[in-house]
Amino acid sequence: MGDIFDLQLVNTAMRQATPLILAALGGLLSERVGVINIGLEGKILMGAFAGALATLLTGSPIVGLASAMVIGAMFALIHAVATQELRTDHIISGVAINLLALGLSTYLYRQIILPREERGESSVVQGFAPIRSEWLDSLPILGTLLRDQTWLVLFAFVLPFGVLWALNRTRWGLRVYAVGNDSVKARTMGVPVKRMRYTGVLLSGVLAGMAGAFLTLASADQFRENMSAGRGFIALAALIFGRWHPIGALVAAFGFGFFEALQMRLQGQPVFGVQLPTDLILMLPYLLTVIALIGLFGRMKPPSDLGN
Amino acid sequence: MAQALLGALVVLGVLSLLIALSGNSIGQGYRLIVQGAIGIPPSDQLSPLDAWDAVLHDMTLLILTGLSVAIALQAGLFNIGAAGQLLMGAMVAGWIGTRSDLPTAVHLPLTLSLGALVGALWALVPALLKLYRGAHEVITTIMFNYIALYLTHWLLMEHLQDPTSDVPRTAFLAETAQLPPLGSFMQTSWGFVIAVMLALVLWAVLFRTVWGYEVRATGANRDAAEAGGVPVNRRTLQAMLLAGGMAGLAGAIEVVGTQYRFFEGFPADYGFDGIAVALLGANHPALAVVSAWVMSALRGGTYYLHIETGAPKEIAVIVQAVLILYVAAVYLRKRRVEG
Repeated sequence: MGDIFDLQLVNTAMRQATPLILAALGGLLSERVGVINIGLEGKILMGAFAGALATLLTGSPIVGLASAMVIGAMFALIHAVATQELRTDHIISGVAINLLALGLSTYLYRQIILPREERGESSVVQGFAPIRSEWLDSLPILGTLLRDQTWLVLFAFVLPFGVLWALNRTRWGLRVYAVGNDSVKARTMGVPVKRMRYTGVLLSGVLAGMAGAFLTLASADQFRENMSAGRGFIALAALIFGRWHPIGALVAAFGFGFFEALQMRLQGQPVFGVQLPTDLILMLPYLLTVIALIGLFGRMKPPSDLGN
Repeated sequence: MAQALLGALVVLGVLSLLIALSGNSIGQGYRLIVQGAIGIPPSDQLSPLDAWDAVLHDMTLLILTGLSVAIALQAGLFNIGAAGQLLMGAMVAGWIGTRSDLPTAVHLPLTLSLGALVGALWALVPALLKLYRGAHEVITTIMFNYIALYLTHWLLMEHLQDPTSDVPRTAFLAETAQLPPLGSFMQTSWGFVIAVMLALVLWAVLFRTVWGYEVRATGANRDAAEAGGVPVNRRTLQAMLLAGGMAGLAGAIEVVGTQYRFFEGFPADYGFDGIAVALLGANHPALAVVSAWVMSALRGGTYYLHIETGAPKEIAVIVQAVLILYVAAVYLRKRRVEG
């Protein structure tokens, strides 16, 4: 058992959780202002593609990350215009955005990146280097947890506290509460409801794009078709499981990242003499979220104005 | 009418752009797409039947998953879970269909009905959770898609895997469980006829019976329907059972009529395409057949374009997404007053 549960497992879990945390926070900022966001998956995928492509073309992962955030915001803008201006159903718009991202990223991958490979150019992305510091490595527990991590991992684990602060301590945060709870009342009180919603949705795109960039610039080193592989939906699950609260989302996303890390570690090894099927471990985030939604872990309360 | 024309222009604009960006002339691109869609072979390696076959095969699945989404929406529920229901139906069909101890006469009907039944039950759970625990069906059906993905994979690896094969798949179906192809060497089976018939039956049921009226009343305005004496909870559950049954049947038909086995990576995406089919067909069962044809022709057409010029097949996916957005933004705007 000692060789399965150790600090290195937590280290892997942190890496697996990073895109989930970023995307879940994005989803949170959108849902807190009342806009349902099932398009996280597509924005992650576009972010992963844009991050990889821009880094391949410029050699700079910073440019890659920025491009991923911009493309995420652009896809979010489609969702914002569709739901706020054209009053499209939030779910349908989200489904269409996921489909558009899947089609477009694969199309562009085959048109731009694959031909490069065929010409013999490398499609391996020089992403962010891990933080290296002898001082950090020498720290007892933290040293192992942060070994070979990129700054994005640290950022993802700090960001929820920043979001919590912004929600509770700034005028913007109070307005988010107002819009999410009762947009009609908020408008009467002079809160610019539409602008708040645009901001929330665009921020969700920026963060989901960043989550995608993490995949190509700090996790895998090249883009692959549909590489987001359901992470947007796990992030959505983490957001719900964490009850639309930044720290709750952080804890849930970390928990789901932990399942992924455990599954990668186990690869058929027995735990306590029992063979744990990897499929059932991978299923846990979804199953737990359904159980949470039924209310077995206490009452779930989404923002009351969600979806209007 | 003007909106429909504008929509056609938007879609053709996107399609032209994608063809041009893939390095083809727009005229040549459209010629190939139309040939693939209506079954004129662009080159001598392909026969017209291949194109028709591909279109009819896709249509079979798209009609059924489109019906699945449409029925649920008629009752006011958004079934994003057709993919998972399809997988469950396919897994069960792969299991029952490979058994050799069943009487010939019942083997095929039993395989199909159990596939539909398990799909129905897989849809029933989210509906129950919605009605009695208030869990949003969109979220639960998404979660159920992934639960189905891992559950069917686990069952396949642990219990259903063909022991003589290294590939994660069941054994080949018993002959008694196979649904015959529509013509020799076709991948389209008689499932196509089943799908079209079901669409017509559902049309009649939804629009010509009291039950259907009550389902639509529940979806249109739940409170009003309840005040009018409609047992809204029961109608919602029944509609969702039917929806899951359609998706489960799609999976079972793909197994007994085309693949003859269940395997890892079974094409569950047809469940998501059902959303586009239902929306484009305004949730009408008969129109689902028409919109399933449009989607299948688009896929068949872009497939020809892909074979002949190497242009990415995903052109069809992008166009489908644009179609959904356009239809949703123009025809399905919320009736709610600004607020």
